[in-house]
Amino acid sequence: MRTLKVTGQVVALAAVAGLLGLLVWRLTHQPKSPKIGAPAPGFSLRRLDTTGTLSLASLRGKPVVLNFWASWCVPCKGEAKMLEAASHRYRSSGVVFVGVDWHDVKSDARRFLEAHGVTYPTVLDGSGSVTDRYNVPAVPETFFVDRSGRLVGEHVVGTVVNQKEKFRSGVQAALGS
Amino acid sequence: MIVRLAAICTAALALAGPAAAACAKPHTSLAAMEGKIMCPTCHTTLDQSDSAAALRIEHFIQLRIDQCATEAQIEADLVDNFGAGILAAPPRKGFDLLAWWLPIGGIVLGALLLALGVWRWSRVRGPDEAAERLDPDTEQRLDELLARLD
Repeated sequence: MRTLKVTGQVVALAAVAGLLGLLVWRLTHQPKSPKIGAPAPGFSLRRLDTTGTLSLASLRGKPVVLNFWASWCVPCKGEAKMLEAASHRYRSSGVVFVGVDWHDVKSDARRFLEAHGVTYPTVLDGSGSVTDRYNVPAVPETFFVDRSGRLVGEHVVGTVVNQKEKFRSGVQAALGS
Repeated sequence: MIVRLAAICTAALALAGPAAAACAKPHTSLAAMEGKIMCPTCHTTLDQSDSAAALRIEHFIQLRIDQCATEAQIEADLVDNFGAGILAAPPRKGFDLLAWWLPIGGIVLGALLLALGVWRWSRVRGPDEAAERLDPDTEQRLDELLARLD
């Protein structure tokens, strides 16, 4: 009977320790905003504009503008044309624009790209796992990555249309000037 | 006259198109699926959300229902698009089976522990009741008293 009592106590203690461990793990693994100067969280996601995948690592050596968006997001519609125009303007400087489509239906996203004439590479983050690593709670949001794959400049929260100066500074920071 | 006739024909075709595309005997309904699919941006099921993302997913589900897709096919499409997290309940295979069996195991273990506790408690209570039993003299006097009252 005593053995049974001790076993019960050990099981109860183990259960409490396990739950405490889970709590600590959850608290220490909360998503944190990526810091300026830190490596941009990497990803390899399916492309929406064509077949295959695109990884951030494959763009190493090029300045990158990462725009998180969704077809159901109204402000995203407002900034799509400006981003497309900017992608053309900075193409000669080697800047690559990449769209990361968040929690979206593929067919809706493709229609959006067509309707707004978006031609730069776009990937689908359907589960939101990559967007979570950038700690993006809502779209649109735009990040800037320099040639060494580090986050630079201040990322634009909300539409770039209302924050043109911040957007321009971000691109310049990615270019390293 | 010809222009008017052409306009009527065009309108009729435009209306007939979606009607013809709709499934005559749908395998499921939006109402049946709304509680089984999560809204990825608000972390509730679709029936509890009016967010833009939820509305688009509902639209997609309705579109697939109209194409005569089964519930399993629609769920597979959604998992392919959004990942397994889009399902309100985890799949009943592989590692996800744990999510189904762990609660059942917990309930069974709890019931066993409860039964064990009750059994032990009843065993401990036994001698206490014996200790509270009246001594033979008192018991005899009590019986006589009760007999007199009768």
